[in-house]
Amino acid sequence: MASKLEAGKTREALGRFTRRQLLELDTCAHCALCTEKCPAYAESKVPNYAPGVRSSKTARLVNKQFGLWARLLGPRPVTAEEVSDLAESAFNCTLCGRCMETCPFGLQTHELWTRVRELVYALGGTLPNVRMLDEMLEENQNPYGLDADMRLDWADYTDLEEVPEKDRAEVAYFVGCTTAFKGANHEVAYSIASILNQLGEDWTLLGEDEWCCGSPLLLAGNEEGAREFAEHNVEALEARGVKTVITGCAGCFRVFKWEYPKLLGRSPRFRIIHAVEYLRDKLASGELKPEPFRGKVAYHDPCELSRLGGVIDAPREVLKYLVGDYIELPEHGMDVRCCGGGGLLQAANNDLRLAIVKRRLGQAAALGAEVLTSACPACKLAFVDGVRASESDIEVLDIMELAARQLGLL
Amino acid sequence: MSGLTDILYPFFVEKLPYITIAVFLLGVALRAARWLSAPRDPGKRPVSVFAAVKYVVLDVVLFRKTFKSDKVTWLILFLFHVAAGGILFGHMRGFHLWSAEMFAPLGEWVAEFMVEVLPIYMGWLFIATQVLLLIRRGVLEGRQLLSLPNDYLALVLLLITTILGQGMRIFPPEAIPPETYSVVFIPGLIVLHLEKVPSFHWFFLHVLFTQLFVMYIPFSKLVHIFSGVITSALYGSRRAEYGI
Ligand code: SF4
Ligand code: SF4
Repeated sequence: MASKLEAGKTREALGRFTRRQLLELDTCAHCALCTEKCPAYAESKVPNYAPGVRSSKTARLVNKQFGLWARLLGPRPVTAEEVSDLAESAFNCTLCGRCMETCPFGLQTHELWTRVRELVYALGGTLPNVRMLDEMLEENQNPYGLDADMRLDWADYTDLEEVPEKDRAEVAYFVGCTTAFKGANHEVAYSIASILNQLGEDWTLLGEDEWCCGSPLLLAGNEEGAREFAEHNVEALEARGVKTVITGCAGCFRVFKWEYPKLLGRSPRFRIIHAVEYLRDKLASGELKPEPFRGKVAYHDPCELSRLGGVIDAPREVLKYLVGDYIELPEHGMDVRCCGGGGLLQAANNDLRLAIVKRRLGQAAALGAEVLTSACPACKLAFVDGVRASESDIEVLDIMELAARQLGLL
Repeated sequence: MSGLTDILYPFFVEKLPYITIAVFLLGVALRAARWLSAPRDPGKRPVSVFAAVKYVVLDVVLFRKTFKSDKVTWLILFLFHVAAGGILFGHMRGFHLWSAEMFAPLGEWVAEFMVEVLPIYMGWLFIATQVLLLIRRGVLEGRQLLSLPNDYLALVLLLITTILGQGMRIFPPEAIPPETYSVVFIPGLIVLHLEKVPSFHWFFLHVLFTQLFVMYIPFSKLVHIFSGVITSALYGSRRAEYGI
């Protein structure tokens, strides 16, 4: 028998859809024009993962409480089974926002699906692996359950000599958890730090004071947790008088730039830039003079940096200085096909993540790319796993690693 | 006319329009209340008029995104909306917003084409594209999309209304009482004037179903006719804010 959820809690959770989101749920024509472009659907063919199906199911639940019939005859209960079915749909999604880019009505699905995850979270339907990740974040302030004193291990492993942890600095390098704790990304951190050192910037790290940016909490549906993390990080950065925060992580960048002002109700007193924007400026001003790489290089736009972050041209401008033989991948820029590395899909369904990344790797291989670059540690991890799973010989490098290499720093 | 239609016909033509307008406005008010009762979106997104208009034109009017991803569906959708717009425009003549004489300077045949020939083609086009869209929905149902009952109701209601309207044009006219030549929605403001006596039974049902359709718009998925313009404008503003 279907188990009904507590009425007050259900109503409160369903009542959190904002004006625009309700308008969007009502506007979705369930037309499926976005379906084929959805990487999660394209690789799985599971109807429940299709964005339009998720929209229908969400609208059905909202209407049970706030629809016309609910107003006339009273709200109808929502069952635990309905919530877990919606959770399956909501978490088998990379939150890449490609459905927004395909939807004729421009529904801002990235935010809509994040709200659906919040709904699922509030009603206790979060998938077990995602719940575990949420708990680790609450406990350790990072999604890997590691101690804070391991945040700077990357500097030891890479033999970085100058690792500043200052009380005051002009620039802060926000490393991000996936760069700091995942070995495959340690050289990304090293590359960024080396470039900052090379340019003699007055910069600092937050060290153990750096908490996760909050992105995985938002992706898990825990908005309150994300707010707490945002407050902590902004306080730590503002206390150091930082004017510019640089990050090499597309997820951290997007959350700092576009979510923090919403979470905090104010803009932080510093600007946030992605490392690739910083690099572009330094290359353009002639302060950095790299040796161009000889070989075919392709660039994959991280969804959170491009479509969801607004940075599309900067990496391409950087690559003009770094490589002689640049290849543009199909489905790039605003229309980028996700690599599968986002939206906590690794926790929800790693097989699907690998299927998605293999498709993207195949596109690069078909063009004869020798090096595949990106500008996000989650993309790099996905590609590294994909290369391993498909026994590809493409070299996966973050754009900052490629830059450091061509500058003779790595 | 039979006894029942003697009673119903004047009702559909003279009384129901008032109810139609009232139900439509009530539906719009209820929709607006539903949206406005929800919490505001956090943060302030500046509205960029230029980007809003640009993306409404590109995406809602021209279906740019669908064109990029699926040319066949784009063609059907585009023709469907062209036909819908054309038919709506044709009805505006009945509301005296334009007349055949306005096209006379371009030649008599243009004026005749506009009021006699084009509407018939538009009607067939509208029916054909609706059927194709219904088939598409049916084929994808359960695999790529999950329709709510009102998705189908709206489409079926529209199809019936269109078929009745087309029948009215192609079947021979019958005599109807002269006082029913005008359908009054708002006296002196929204009045549909009929120039010719249409085929009675088709007209009778077309008037009924058109009004049911209009009443249903704000309660159905068809609300996207209006809300889709808003969401697209908001998407345009987002792109402007993100600098992309
Ligand atoms: S955000 Fe990406 S993965 Fe999720 S439904 Fe949309 S297209 Fe699919
Ligand atoms: S999100 Fe847009 S494209 Fe996808 S089903 Fe809804 S209306 Fe159609």
